[in-house]
Amino acid sequence: MPIDPLQTRSQYLSLALFAQKTVSTLIEYVDENRTDSMAAIVQDALGSLKGLEDLSSLTQKRAVAFTSYEHLRTLEQVWSVEERSQAISMLDQLASGDLESDDKKNQAGRLIDLFGRLQNQALWNFEQPKPVSAQVLQQLCQTK
Amino acid sequence: MSDEIDALLHDAAALHRFVDFLDLYCRQNSTSQVYVDSAGLFFRYIQELAKGVKAKLEKDVQRATRFPNRLLNIRSEILTIKNYLRLLHTLVKPVADAHTLNIPAPLIDLATHQLGQVDGMDGAKVVILLTPELMYFQRPHTDIKNIARLVEGFVPEASFPSKLGFVELPYSQGPSFFTNLALYHEIGHFVYEELSSSSPPHQGISHLRSSIGTSLRQVTTTTSPQAFAVQVGILESWTQEIFCDLFALRLLGPAFSFSLLEILSLLGLLRDRDYIVFSPTHPASACRLSEHLDLLTKEGWMAAISDVGASAKNLLEHISGRPASQYEMYFDDQHPGPRWLVDAFIAVLPIIRELVKDITGSAAAHVGRFTQWRGPIQAALAEGIVPSVKVDGAVPDPISIINASFCFYLTSIPSLIRTFEGLQPQQVPSLESRSGWTNRLEMWTMKAIEDAQLPSLYSMKG
Repeated sequence: MPIDPLQTRSQYLSLALFAQKTVSTLIEYVDENRTDSMAAIVQDALGSLKGLEDLSSLTQKRAVAFTSYEHLRTLEQVWSVEERSQAISMLDQLASGDLESDDKKNQAGRLIDLFGRLQNQALWNFEQPKPVSAQVLQQLCQTK
Repeated sequence: MSDEIDALLHDAAALHRFVDFLDLYCRQNSTSQVYVDSAGLFFRYIQELAKGVKAKLEKDVQRATRFPNRLLNIRSEILTIKNYLRLLHTLVKPVADAHTLNIPAPLIDLATHQLGQVDGMDGAKVVILLTPELMYFQRPHTDIKNIARLVEGFVPEASFPSKLGFVELPYSQGPSFFTNLALYHEIGHFVYEELSSSSPPHQGISHLRSSIGTSLRQVTTTTSPQAFAVQVGILESWTQEIFCDLFALRLLGPAFSFSLLEILSLLGLLRDRDYIVFSPTHPASACRLSEHLDLLTKEGWMAAISDVGASAKNLLEHISGRPASQYEMYFDDQHPGPRWLVDAFIAVLPIIRELVKDITGSAAAHVGRFTQWRGPIQAALAEGIVPSVKVDGAVPDPISIINASFCFYLTSIPSLIRTFEGLQPQQVPSLESRSGWTNRLEMWTMKAIEDAQLPSLYSMKG
């Protein structure tokens, strides 16, 4: 697909920054007990991941992340379906605040690892921005 | 000092030098050249960002010493910020090259003035970039703006200027006029993106987007988010292209259609077999030009230029005449795409037309004024005079000047040459001569629209 490489790279970079924001906020919580922006960041991540369950959200692009091909491709490359469910579950628990502090920090630590991997993959894809080939496009647009 | 800390210091120092250079480069250019205002806003952002990044790097080094177990995260963070600066790096030089000697500044001023009258675009500004590509682009500013917003979380010193769009002109076309009317289409992309990302979302754009989703869901059977995102992306690209064409037509009138045909011809994209083919990024030319003709007819422009017998007008009518039933979709030369995507798109066309009409209400070109002014403007041009003519104390508006001049360019260059070079009717002017007189015509037109804007510029500045 002949698209502007800057546009493709921008998509990967925005995902890297989204993941970085999540990682930084969780690190502040784990290392320094700071929770200033944690609620908002957790909600953004949760909303973006849950948005994947409803295709119509992709047209409205209301979620912070995972509404473009580049974001979705990166997510599929780096997280298994099981890890995605685990991330949603851990973010849900962090958002609800019903965990003891140590448990919460363990969950946050696991999320730091997951989102760190997402960030690194997005940075890798930023370096190697592969446009969608005509063949893949054809497959993606096939009907049953 | 551990090797890891040493490596971090190395990365941080390299980035420090990089932003220092960008800072200095913007500072030097903004003092040694004259730019339209918006370039200054962009340069200032880069300078503030440079300052903020340097402060952040100092903090990152301290953080790494305090929490050595987070070194990898901190290095990823620095790499991410560096990549943002790499993206900006690709914009800085083309912006610096686009000083007022290299771009059609009166046209940019006019476009910016009209842009401010579009619903939701009050105060919007356009940064011009000169590209080595022979193509007009609108840099997807929404992506950059979204990234800038995320970066602001890490570098609070720098806030990306609001409502700032980026439009690229080919450097070879910088000083010319008629082909640069295409920048109105690119400004349309800016408007579409800006309204799409506004908070709260623009109602018309939200309605359009949900209509795209509804139309697509009626034809697709995919349950894969990735496949659906690609399908939405294609439909959205086509939607934006038609939106931008109609936006440019509403603001400019038929001069935009003629300008587009000039560019497509210059790029060798006007091939009969391609007229009906949709690519993943663009609707078929036949579809686009049929929308042009439809709008120009409904708004009275085709009647107003019915006497213009130019080949460009005939071509517009010829290409747009291809029926929608013949449209095809191809991913590239070899891979055919699904026709149902085209059908899903055609269902959305009336909503795009309505949206463009709604948002361009007060900025739209006025066919009545064109009809009134065309005669005096073309009479001035025929005598080799800048058409800043006055009739009963009034001066023509810039859009009438542009359309009258474009029609003159399409039909009357040979007679202009004959008048001034004394050629006989049967003699064919040389290409060099034709090219030279076209340049002159463009200069007269540009001067006239500059003159026409003076009163409003001074009253704006009080």
